[in-house]
Amino acid sequence: MSGIWPTLQTTPLLWLAVTLLVFEGADRLSKRSNRHPLCHPVLLATPVLIAILLATRTPYPVYARNTAMLGFLLGPATVGLAVPLWRNRALVRRAAGPLLLALFAGSLTAIASVTGIVWAFGGSAQILATVAPRSVTTPVAMALAQQLGGIPALAAVVVLIAGVFGAMIATPLLDALRMRDYRVRGFAAGVAAHGFGTARAFQVDELGGTFAGIGMALNAAMTALLLTLWAVL
Amino acid sequence: MIAAIATLLLCQLLGEGIHLLSGLPLPGAVIGMFLLLGWLLLRPGERPTLVQVSAWLTAHLSVMFVPAAVGLIEEGPVLARNGVAIVVATLVSTLLTMVVTALVFRWALARQERGA
Repeated sequence: MSGIWPTLQTTPLLWLAVTLLVFEGADRLSKRSNRHPLCHPVLLATPVLIAILLATRTPYPVYARNTAMLGFLLGPATVGLAVPLWRNRALVRRAAGPLLLALFAGSLTAIASVTGIVWAFGGSAQILATVAPRSVTTPVAMALAQQLGGIPALAAVVVLIAGVFGAMIATPLLDALRMRDYRVRGFAAGVAAHGFGTARAFQVDELGGTFAGIGMALNAAMTALLLTLWAVL
Repeated sequence: MIAAIATLLLCQLLGEGIHLLSGLPLPGAVIGMFLLLGWLLLRPGERPTLVQVSAWLTAHLSVMFVPAAVGLIEEGPVLARNGVAIVVATLVSTLLTMVVTALVFRWALARQERGA
């Protein structure tokens, strides 16, 4: 064991296998919980993997280097967000004006409120850059945090928290506001809580889910544009 | 299949090139997303494989950012200092965003329908 360990410890083979096995176990638990937001597989798998790294005294850079293949896929996945927008272009076109207005208002609210509160708590520029993209889908949020001088790992977790919370409050909150149009309900869930909101919306209603997906993809673009503008100004 | 993967990678590559040349903080993959959308809108036709590949990627986003989330292992001091602020800000911001988006969308849709 002690002979082969140093060799295996620095291979993608070991760490990809471990990561996928832990994730698959977490995913089964999540399925058994009927996909409760609090049982999201990332939420369950991350602490287990951290414990494994600590127990085996594996430095994070070694783990990161050997699992980089997984992170690489985030790029093409982001590009692929264009596909559902293109497929649903007729739906988007029909409500284009109101959709864009709501998107702009939602995106601005997300950025202003999260940075405003962190700033009021005395957060540094680095933390502000980390939380600013909190309402967009993880790959875009991580890339934006990186570009703006934030911490991508922390941005991923912030996005996760927003998603879990958003998926949990969507139905009671939108009921309390007496929102009856599933386009509105879904879109709000997608803009505020990205993939989690979208998954939740699809559980309730097909049209709502589609609009949540549209909201998620459009908000990735809008937030990226707004934050770019902010960084340049 | 290969064509669809190559399309996604080519868009990202072009996006990355534009990102590097322009010096804008807009991530290359997001520029790539705009490029792909533009290309799809300009060239009509069904693209079942591209739809399939991108749906597969989107469905498995979670596992792709696990290695990044594990990176929290190195952020202990930052979390100890800012953890509470970050969590409070994230929860309040998520709630506000959902409320504002829903209210503005409903109001604007009603206005559009009255006008039509």
